[in-house]
Amino acid sequence: MAQTDTLPENWLNDYGDLLYRYALIRVRSEATAEDLVQETLLAGLQSFDRFSSQSTVRTWLVGILKHKIIDYFRKNRHEITTLNDDETAEDILAYQFDQQGNWKINLIEWGTPEKNMHDEQFWVAFNDCLSRLPQRMADILLLRTVDGLETEECCALLGFETDNQLWVTLSRTRVKLRLCLETNWFSKE
Amino acid sequence: MYKCKEIIELTSKNMETSLPWYTRMEMQAHFLICKTCLRYAQQLAMMQKALGVMHGHTVSCQLPEAAKHRIAKKLQQVKENAEK
Repeated sequence: MAQTDTLPENWLNDYGDLLYRYALIRVRSEATAEDLVQETLLAGLQSFDRFSSQSTVRTWLVGILKHKIIDYFRKNRHEITTLNDDETAEDILAYQFDQQGNWKINLIEWGTPEKNMHDEQFWVAFNDCLSRLPQRMADILLLRTVDGLETEECCALLGFETDNQLWVTLSRTRVKLRLCLETNWFSKE
Repeated sequence: MYKCKEIIELTSKNMETSLPWYTRMEMQAHFLICKTCLRYAQQLAMMQKALGVMHGHTVSCQLPEAAKHRIAKKLQQVKENAEK
């Protein structure tokens, strides 16, 4: 007997919000996110015979969406090879380090991951900080860490000529994200 | 000897590629004497963990009803065409 979660007519209601949130964080456009959800569900319907009951429909649909997101980035390559001021993060580095490269600030204690990640408000702050990153920095970080795209392909998609350029940018992206989290979440009480 | 500013860049790079053993040793030695860089590394690890699980967590944002209707209509169309 079919499980209810495998009934395609329920997918939109059951997983529409999840897929939409997932897409929206990545593309930052409601219209594009909606298109991606639609394409995902269509692709799901068309290849449902290949769905293996070893995974859940949810995981399977998210997997399809991930491919759609990567395709989206492939079609909309960011052809910028020079970083803009916002992406060099020089201002933050100058705020954190002195001329000799030593820390000028103290990092506050963050507590355990468990304590934070079970707090719904943490995720609000986390998403907020992601959305405040310059678009390309967020794209790079998420393509690499969430989608697990290989370094080589990340470089090609984002217009980096060397792996090192990508790594430097990733480091600066993390610097920015960390500082935002510290300010917007961990400094609060 | 690496400066703190270089250590934090290496910390991120270490998540992307395998660094030579002597670089990793130098980083470990630095962490022993520099609590701030150690804390930075721990915080990056926590961010990495959060990025890995963030999509499983609910944030208040839903597919708008209008969009839901548009998608439902489209799915219905495709279904009908397939049945013809």
